[in-house]
Amino acid sequence: MVKYTVSALIVGLFIGILDLNIDLLNLITQNTDLILYILMFSVGISIGMQDGVLTKIKQFNIKIFIIPFGIIIASFFAGIICSLLTNIPYNYSMAITSGMGWYSLSGATLSKLVNSSIGSIAFLSNLMREIFSFFIIPFIAIRFNYYTCIAPAGATSEDTTLPMMLKYTDEHTVVLSVINGIICSFFVPILISICLNLPPL
Amino acid sequence: MDIIIVMAIGIIIGNFIKNKNFKIINEKIQLIATIILIFAMGINIGSKENFVNELANLGITSFIFFIIPTILSIIVVYFLTKRFMTNKERKDSQW
Repeated sequence: MVKYTVSALIVGLFIGILDLNIDLLNLITQNTDLILYILMFSVGISIGMQDGVLTKIKQFNIKIFIIPFGIIIASFFAGIICSLLTNIPYNYSMAITSGMGWYSLSGATLSKLVNSSIGSIAFLSNLMREIFSFFIIPFIAIRFNYYTCIAPAGATSEDTTLPMMLKYTDEHTVVLSVINGIICSFFVPILISICLNLPPL
Repeated sequence: MDIIIVMAIGIIIGNFIKNKNFKIINEKIQLIATIILIFAMGINIGSKENFVNELANLGITSFIFFIIPTILSIIVVYFLTKRFMTNKERKDSQW
């Protein structure tokens, strides 16, 4: 996934710099609305196809929401702090941090719904978060507790960073990690949309 | 808001899809759609006149947007799990 999306970004940048005018490319860049809808529809199908999530949520009771709740609250506050530091409007800033590590979706969505600069900040910052998670998880497992390993991974804790959980934490944390990833991934598009609809200050 | 509606329709339809092979096709659709959107984003940034300045600026801003949510989420989740997940599960999970 990383190599495909980063390659797409780099090739796109070069085409933009060289100012190439190719009909097919114009057709693509002018119809990104439709592609965004296809993406969101497909994300919805993925969520709908998940088996047994509700059963697991019942099994673990309310405590299963503690970790995703913490990650989401942290993202909101981080969005406000980042807005103060960078002068980016708070609603855009909170939408970026709502990506919770899901760089491809947040980058693609925000580039379409706001502009390419906000989209690339979402893409790069969330990609950095995912890469950094790989290195920090072993450290957190030793210094903090296993549960906290899920925090930097955010929405990626069900797929890309899951192998690190398997290696450095225990079975129980791995299950929580998968469920956290599903819950956070579910909320990423919703939170992005809500944040963008917040009134400007 | 319309993206949420589109996603919700997807969730409802996804509930009825039992064919596991479709999962692979669906993941491919997601990958292709993401690649196209990221690619279009690249073209947009690349075609800006002050691209080099913009890139340096984006790099620094992105770093801020990476480090603050990551550190904050570690702190918040650590305190929440320390406070509220003190039952058997936590004992099992600690060193």
